[in-house]
Amino acid sequence: MPDTSLPMTERSAAPPQPVRFRGGGFTVKGHRWAALLAFVVLIAVWESTNRFGLVSELFLPPPSAVASALAAMAQDGSLWQHLKASLMRIGVGWVMGTVAGMAVGFAMGIGSVARAVGVPLVSAFFPIPKIALLPLFILWFGIGEPSKFATIGFGVFFPTVIATYSAIDSVPRNLIRMAQSFGLPWASILRKIVLPGALPGILAGFRITASIALILVVAAEMIGAEYGIGAFVLTAGNLMLTDQLLAGVLVLSLLGLSIGTVLSILERRLLKWR
Amino acid sequence: MRLIIKDLCHRYDDLVVLDGIDLTVQEGEVLAVIGPSGCGKSTLLGIAGGIVAPTSGTIAVAGEVPDGCLNPITFIFQDFALLPWRSVEDNLSLVLEHHPLSAAERRERIESGLRRMGLWDFRKALPKQLSGGMRQRVGIARALAVRPAMLLLDEPLSALDAQTRELLMEDFLSLWQRERTTAVYVTHNLDEALRLADRVVVLSRRPGRLREIVTIEEPRDQRLEPSAQAHLAEVRDRLWHLIRAEAQLADREIADA
Amino acid sequence: MTVVRWSRRLVLGAMGAAALALAGTPAAEAQGLEKTSIGVLALASSGPIFIAKSKGYFEKEGLDVELKMFTSAQQVPVAVASGDVDFGVTGLTAGFYNLAAKGAVTMIAAQSRDEPGFQLSAYVATKAAHDAGLTKPADLKGKRIAITTVGSTFHYMVGLLGQKHGFTVKDVTMVAMQDVPKMVAAFKGGQVDAVIAPVTVARQLAAEGSGTIVGWVGDETPWQLGALFTSPKTVAQRRPLAEKFVGAYLTALAEYHAAFNAKDASGAVVKGPGYDELLAIIAEATKQKPEVVAAGLPYVEPKGKLLVDDIVNQVKFWQSEGQVDKALDAKSVMDLTFVK
Repeated sequence: MPDTSLPMTERSAAPPQPVRFRGGGFTVKGHRWAALLAFVVLIAVWESTNRFGLVSELFLPPPSAVASALAAMAQDGSLWQHLKASLMRIGVGWVMGTVAGMAVGFAMGIGSVARAVGVPLVSAFFPIPKIALLPLFILWFGIGEPSKFATIGFGVFFPTVIATYSAIDSVPRNLIRMAQSFGLPWASILRKIVLPGALPGILAGFRITASIALILVVAAEMIGAEYGIGAFVLTAGNLMLTDQLLAGVLVLSLLGLSIGTVLSILERRLLKWR
Repeated sequence: MRLIIKDLCHRYDDLVVLDGIDLTVQEGEVLAVIGPSGCGKSTLLGIAGGIVAPTSGTIAVAGEVPDGCLNPITFIFQDFALLPWRSVEDNLSLVLEHHPLSAAERRERIESGLRRMGLWDFRKALPKQLSGGMRQRVGIARALAVRPAMLLLDEPLSALDAQTRELLMEDFLSLWQRERTTAVYVTHNLDEALRLADRVVVLSRRPGRLREIVTIEEPRDQRLEPSAQAHLAEVRDRLWHLIRAEAQLADREIADA
Repeated sequence: MTVVRWSRRLVLGAMGAAALALAGTPAAEAQGLEKTSIGVLALASSGPIFIAKSKGYFEKEGLDVELKMFTSAQQVPVAVASGDVDFGVTGLTAGFYNLAAKGAVTMIAAQSRDEPGFQLSAYVATKAAHDAGLTKPADLKGKRIAITTVGSTFHYMVGLLGQKHGFTVKDVTMVAMQDVPKMVAAFKGGQVDAVIAPVTVARQLAAEGSGTIVGWVGDETPWQLGALFTSPKTVAQRRPLAEKFVGAYLTALAEYHAAFNAKDASGAVVKGPGYDELLAIIAEATKQKPEVVAAGLPYVEPKGKLLVDDIVNQVKFWQSEGQVDKALDAKSVMDLTFVK
């Protein structure tokens, strides 16, 4: 608009005002070092509470005591013995629960009869605390490895079923229609469309079931286990050896962290198309 | 290939979607189907392609199938329906893998499909890396790879912006220039029908009934010429007249629902 | 934690004093009773505490004692260590000695003992193991035995049996099942050859035919099952309180002993004076039928004396098992100045 077409009013004579920026905040920025720093500060505070005698070593062993308990375990080799036993149980139990859960989940995702039967059953059995079933598992599977696999396997099975069939539900129907319109056989549609389409949901389920397996390994090792991180933590608790207790818990959480990392790598590899 | 639809009715529960459709798609013609939204255009296409079961009526095909045809009736989808986890060339491969082809022939079909749609350089790309127009070109190349006798196009350009739509229409024109593949082209866009179709079928609002079939006399490759404009404007007016009231009603119905 | 509790107590005390000055006061305050608390399990072995409370022996000593119930022996010394209760009375586990090693708890009087003629814990063999020749406690060598946890009283009982019959815990396979129900499950499932079970469980296993009682721990290896304990800090700072507490406890202990631990000439346990009255008190406190309580009444030494040699043996045993710090001096876990 040309200036001359406007009468010279008071308003047009006012000097131009800069537009104030008001779009700040409400975005999450990456603070790479904040987490690490918080961690270091936490450890330092924790250590100093003990050093200055504010908290007894019994109630909260200092990080240095936990570290030395851990070092002692690593040195006498018991750490590896415990880790090996627990990893074996987690591995076998998780694979068993996952394979069975995916098979049932697929059946429920595809077959309407299987779903009609399965959904109420899964809803009924899923919330049962597996720890409450331990005495039964002992009677059914004995006190050797099978009952430990069963404890973990059962815990992993139901979430896997749910994750699998909801993942199948989320496979876009139009892709299946497309495959049918090109005459792909049923098995090919399952293998080439449904399975890869459900993979993100199934992998998300893995994240949950891996943590469940980690939680349940402690429960599983309540059953007559000589070695295992869970057994170690239980014994340390029973003996009131709090530094060892925390060392065991630390190993468990590191285990969780590394399983999570492995899954993240797996997701990035398998799901780079997203 | 000809497609003969006889006395077709389709209901979803109590809702009558298509009612008494009798229609023959002639060998080599491009038949556009237009109508207001919700008139059952896409359902009609799904029934014609055998992926939706009609409530009653018959669908039949007759006539020649080209050499090397693997899937006589082949769809091109509005949302492209590409597998996001497969690369461009693997999306083409998907529709060939279950056929007993030699590896060399499969490769040849993929390559010729990709080259025709100008996708050769993008063959390793994932769908998410492509623009909408390129994705639909993959959809077209995939359809060409099976050497179809009939193409069923379900609003193939509706998800694209105006310029891309223009470019793809040129692709379709050159496709029908080269091989006279019979096609049913469902659209709600009058311009697409006027550019591409030999005949235009107008469906009424729900329940979808066949209101009229309008023939466009002007040859497809001359429709941009000034001499053709008078005739096309006349056809356009007629089509618009046919669907205007229906579209308005359909619009209100959706708002009411 | 302790600091907070203390300040809370001070505040409450101040409020109490204010209330006293202003208006009528609750009975306990009016009589000037000192408040204290003890952690117990709802078991017959805590009987003397229930008696002392019910018959007013604590009040006579000027104490208002609150009984806090716990569900496992593990929790009680922890509660004493954390200051949630002033005293505790339960069985002795390796966990207890680890707390003692850190200076958190110390024993001041005895609780029950395993004693010949008193059937508290039984060695029970499965039917199969019994048929195969496990007929006496000494036969447990080389067998699989279910226990609750590593460091539990059951663990020590196995060790003690070995000491008597010339084997070590290495000669048996101990399977930790965490709790008695899982122990029973492993036993019934034939996963182990034997268990050491509390009397009620043992009798039930025998009655249903899944196991045979092959001996009693009291007959085989008498030992100091449990103790009354407090924190060394209480001993140091509130010694009069602890003395009054032990005084009331010992009165009840003697009464308990007279009623339940009397034997006739043949050595059989007979009902002593006040039997029914005291049994009713314990039955009410443990919420069990009197006949169930009567079946598992443990022996107590009437003067509350600890089996010092056994306590030393316990500490050495746990040290040799690697479950208690080798540096712990066995004598330091007891304060023998309260019981003469």
